[in-house]
This record gives sequence, C-alpha cells and structure tokens, in this order.
Amino acid sequence: MSDITAPGFPEEEVRRRARLGAAAAFPPPGEYGQVLYGGGRVPAGSGAPDALDALRLVPPVFMPGRLARLVELGHEPTYRDVDLEVTVGGFHSALPLYLSALGSTRAAGDRGLGLALSRQAGVMGVPLVIGENVTSVHGYGRGGDAPGDSSVLARLVAYAETAPEGRGGVVVQQSTEDADAEVWNLAYSDPAAQPLLDSGRLAFELKAGQGAKPGLGGMTVLPEAAAERMREHFVVDPLFEGRRVLRSGSPGTLTEEILRQQIRLMRNNYPRARVWVKLPPGRDVADAARLAVAAGADAVTVDGAEGGTGWAPEVFLGQVGLPLAECLRRLGGPLPGLLVSGGMWEGGRAVKCLALGATAVGLGRAALLAVAEDPRQGLARLVECLALEMRLLISALGKYRPDVLGPEDLWSPSVPPSNRLDSSR
Amino acid sequence: MSEAEVTIPPTDPGVHLNSARTRSVLRVQQQLLGAAREYLREAGFTELLPPVIGPVTDPGARGAKQVDIDFYGHRYKLMTSAILYKQASLLAFDKIFCIAPNVRLEPLETAHTSRHLAEFHQLDVEVAGASREEVMELLERLVVHMVNRTVTGLPGELERLGRDPDAFRPLSTGPFRRVTHAEAVRELRDLGHGQSPDAELDWEGEAILSAKSDRPFLVTDYPKGSRGFYDREDPAAPGVLRNFDLIAPQGYGELCSGSERTNDYAEIVTRMRETGENPRKYRWYLDLVREGLPGSAGFGIGVERLTRYVAGLDAVWQASAYPKLPGVVSP
Repeated sequence: MSDITAPGFPEEEVRRRARLGAAAAFPPPGEYGQVLYGGGRVPAGSGAPDALDALRLVPPVFMPGRLARLVELGHEPTYRDVDLEVTVGGFHSALPLYLSALGSTRAAGDRGLGLALSRQAGVMGVPLVIGENVTSVHGYGRGGDAPGDSSVLARLVAYAETAPEGRGGVVVQQSTEDADAEVWNLAYSDPAAQPLLDSGRLAFELKAGQGAKPGLGGMTVLPEAAAERMREHFVVDPLFEGRRVLRSGSPGTLTEEILRQQIRLMRNNYPRARVWVKLPPGRDVADAARLAVAAGADAVTVDGAEGGTGWAPEVFLGQVGLPLAECLRRLGGPLPGLLVSGGMWEGGRAVKCLALGATAVGLGRAALLAVAEDPRQGLARLVECLALEMRLLISALGKYRPDVLGPEDLWSPSVPPSNRLDSSR
Repeated sequence: MSEAEVTIPPTDPGVHLNSARTRSVLRVQQQLLGAAREYLREAGFTELLPPVIGPVTDPGARGAKQVDIDFYGHRYKLMTSAILYKQASLLAFDKIFCIAPNVRLEPLETAHTSRHLAEFHQLDVEVAGASREEVMELLERLVVHMVNRTVTGLPGELERLGRDPDAFRPLSTGPFRRVTHAEAVRELRDLGHGQSPDAELDWEGEAILSAKSDRPFLVTDYPKGSRGFYDREDPAAPGVLRNFDLIAPQGYGELCSGSERTNDYAEIVTRMRETGENPRKYRWYLDLVREGLPGSAGFGIGVERLTRYVAGLDAVWQASAYPKLPGVVSP
C-alpha cells in the first residue's frame, strides 16, 4: 500500500473500491437483514456537496425507452442490458470513461504508479492520457534518455501491450514547454507507437490549462539539484526549506485564432492521430470548447475546478475557476466529443455529467489512489464498481445507452423549475 | 511507377556506390547543381555555407522529429531546414543561396512514399525585398535552366537511365500553371479525393494532381495552420499564406516550397504561438527580428527530389549516395 493521500477527496471509499470491486457499490453484505437503510443517508465519502453532488437522478414512472429495449430483447431488461460502450474522442471505449493525465507529479512518477495505471487501463480498453511534463521530467525513454519506468515510452508500450484489439487508445499531452521537447513529433515517428497509430489508437492532446490552477502552467516541487538543468526552460523559485524549489511551467498564451490554428496544425502534421484539447474551467470555457470542436478536435476535455492530482497554490484550490457543474451549465448541453473531469470516482457524479452533455468522464485522483492501493488490480476493481453503478443508474432511468441520457434525468433542489436546464432534448 | 517497382536501398552501401546507374544519377545531380550555381551567380547571388547545428531549427516540417545534440551541455538541433539562417543572412547580402543538408526524422509511413529521406539537401534561395511573385518567376527560370543544361549537357547519362528527353519538352513552353490551394482542393474533391481544405495537400492528393500534369505547376495560397510561422499571411486575405509549392509532373510530386516571409516581430511571435511553438527558444532569431531583418521571399528546392524527377527514378533514395530512409538503419 502506498502512502499517497488525497485530502478533501473520498479517499477511503476509493481505496475500499480498489480492494472490493463491484461489491463496494453496496453496504457491507453482513449488514443485510440487520441494518435498515433508507433515504436521508449521506453518501459515504462525500464531504461538502458541490452543485453536481446536490443534483439528484430522477427515474420516471413511465418508460417508453424501456419498452423499446423490452421489445428488442424479448424479455424485461435489467441493468445488465445497459450497453456502456461509447466512442471517446475517436476511440472505442468499453465504457464512458477515460483516465486523465497524471502528469509528472512525484506521485505518478517516482512510485511507478503511472506505469501500473497504464497497464490496467490497457487491459480494460479505456483511453489513457499521458500527461504533459512527463517527457521533461521523466524523459521520453529513447536515445540518450534513461528508459525509466515513468517515461512516456514505457507507459505507451505498457498500454499497447495489454489493450484488447480495437479498444481504447493513448493520448499524449503536450503543453507550451513541451513544444521544446517535441513530444508529439517524437511519438509520431516512434516505432513503439506504430501499432497504436496503425490501429487509429493514438491521439495528441493540446493542454490549454487545468482544473486545479486555471491560468497557471504546470508546477512541481523538486530538489534544488534536480531543478538546475531545468532553468533554461522553466521558472525555478527557491521557496521551500530543505533545498527544494518550485518549478513552474508557463501556461501558454491563447487567443481564439491561436487555439484554432494550433488545432489545424495538429490535424495537418499528424493526420493519423486524433486531436484532443484540454481546457481549464475558465469563464469562456463554452466558447473555447465550441471553437475547438469547430476547428476539428475529436475531443474537448473540460477539467472542472475540482480536478487535479498535483501541486497547486492553496488560493487557487479554494478560490479560482468554475466548478464543473457551472462549466456544464455554460456549455448548455451536448457537444460532440465533450469529456469532463473533476472529482470523479463513483457512478452518480459520472452519470449526472453524461446527462448534462458529456460523452465520458475522466478519473484522476481516484485512479491514482486505486493503483496505489493495489498496483495490479486496484484500478480495474474501482472501474468495475463504477461500471456497475452506471448500469444500475442508467437502467433505473429507463435508458440503456449513456448517450440518450439528458437533463430530464436530473432534478436540482436549489433551482426553481422554470430556471432548470432545458429538458426539451 | 507501379507499387511493385518501389525499391529499397541495398543494405550494402558498396553495391549502391558501385552501380553504373548510381554513377549516372550522381552525375545528373552534379550537373543540376552546377547549372544552379552558374545561373544564380550570374544573377548576382552569393553562395553561403549554411550551419548544420543551432539552438533551434525550422519547426515547419510536418510530423517530423528534430534531432537533438548535446552542445556543451545545451540542447542543440541538427537543421531541418536553413530557413532561419537564410533570413538572417540577408543582413550580409541581399541575394543569397546555399546547398543545405537537412535532417528530419520523418514519420515511419513516409518510408513508402518514394519521396522522403531522413537526410536530404535543399537548394535554398532567399531575396531581400522580393515579393512572392518575383521569386516564383525566379524559381521557374532557375528550374528550366537547370533541367535544360542537364538535358543538353548529359544526353548519354539520361539515355543510360532510360529517361526520355522529350519528357521535358513541355517545360519551356511558357510560365508554369498556377493554382491556388483552394482550387486544388476543389479539383481533388471533384475527383473523389477527400482533401481537407485546412491542411497541406496530402501525399495521395498531391500525387493525383502531379500525375495529371505534363509540366511542373505551382500551388499557391496555402491555409494558415499548414505551414511554419515564417510564411507571411496575406494582409488582404486573413488565414491565407503568401506561399507556394512547385509540383513536378508525371507523379513525381512536390519539388520545392517557398513563400514571402513575415519580418514583423509581433506577427512572428503571434504566429509562433499559432504553430504551437514556445517563442523563448527562438531568442537569437527574435532578437534579430526585433532589431530589424529585411522583408524577403525565397524557396528551397529538394535536390534529391529534383534529381529523381530529371533522372526519372522510381524512388528519391536513388538520388543519394548514402540514402537514409525514415526508420531504416543505414550508414
């Protein structure tokens, strides 16, 4: 077991799922017949509920969708008849899920968890994003670089070796600083990436920002000696005791035209790779997302202010960026290829995001905690539990595919009925 | 050239170098370069020897990886093209040219296009104060001169290579045809090829247009997002670049790219961001631009590609004494 912690995140619940799998979707079976469960119970692990947690999923009584499925199957449908398979950013995924970039943080790198995560994601056929800065911090893994377990190449190969044919995909992220390391060009010309490219399972993600610290670039804490070689490309601030420094990347400058052209350039230069764009929870997130899709992005990832696995100034964690619920409200409904992340770990929050227009949701901290709990099976068990909850919830709504969920499946206690999301969809 | 005829280099470099065919090809190449030098010197150009390494290089190569080298603890690059130095060299002379070695670790699938090498040479030309139209005319005259000098100077070699000199008869019958990128996209779509209007002509599309033509032609006005930051955006048509490609006929494909260059500091920094680049690493170049580089226009002709066209070769590697195909480990 690893010593990673995630304050403010339902860590114990995630770890329990990583140990027990789908069984963790229910109270302990030993309590069956003895404890009386009912409404009003606070969901395990939830702290102060945000706007998404406050929403309720509201199954109807009359279900024409269920009738259609009944006719199709010839028997009464159950939760097992929910088909979770979707297209996530151009990839066939076993369920509406992807693994968010975990970047170069020590948590993902030094402990080998990034590699464990790649393997498990591969086995499940769930798309995996390899974070920006992995190259600059852990190396790419070719040529003069030491091919460490944390390198891009090691993660990419681990995924490709385990992924079932035709399922999943790897997304290699690059940000402003990484342009210097040319991560995309390196991956695109790498023999190890060819099986993924040939099967249409390689994407490049342009990182325009992140949830935990919108407006800032990547940040890591490093020993002074390790930071020395990075001075040429990063801001290095000697802020901390114990000869440790803050290393900051630039967030990169975007305008509408810069974003549009960067996406076009990606499509031009890497015609065989999918194009993903990751947006921070900025106030103009809806404009940026629509622009990215219009410019040809296969996926737009919106990282709510609840997101993040790394290091961020506390003032940003508490007071900067739109919560994911507000991002979704501003997006105003489905957008092709919309992916969202921010505090995901169980089925309820995930299904609510799908009902609000997302195609899939991203696991960040939860995935890292799950592999920390059990590097071989932890993530698979967490996802098994999440998938069961999704099936239970979606079938309860009288629907059998994630993409037919809509705002009519949600109720907000705080919003008067007249102001609710348009349910005409 | 059918697929079946596509060849790969012999693994033994001695076999390639000892072949009479290779000797004929290299003589054709020498003749072409000699003719270029003759023409350009006559026209008042100065030949410079281009640098091989530098802190940055041309990022405009689509999908190709740059080669890093350790320059006394600093990461340097092998040149993917001479573009930045071509512009800088105009501080010394108004009209320059060089025969520049370029290294681009191209995507692996380009090993089978018959027209990509990981190491190749470019005849680079740059003219201070010139417009795109002026350098396109210069390019036409230069190519016609190089080809004519070779056809008249080395009839025996071309015969040995099985290249019919009549193939070049249409070359001198007037200015090359010019089509805009948008027109080329329309033409390809009409032919059922799904060419993207926002991207370079893809290799298949370019081959289709090339095969239809019996003489070289120019494609102009590529969209922004398909080229490096140095191609000037047309002030009268935002989103369109004042650039061009020269495409060889008979399926030989692209021979040359060129453009009017932007020399405005703010525009260059903005365009660097649009092409996903970090301006910080272009410091020496941006400092020069800020101090004032002349406006210019220029082009680079792929020496091995032009040799392939003139010698009528199946693949571009045959025009190199030491060919390096993308992904193929070779001396």
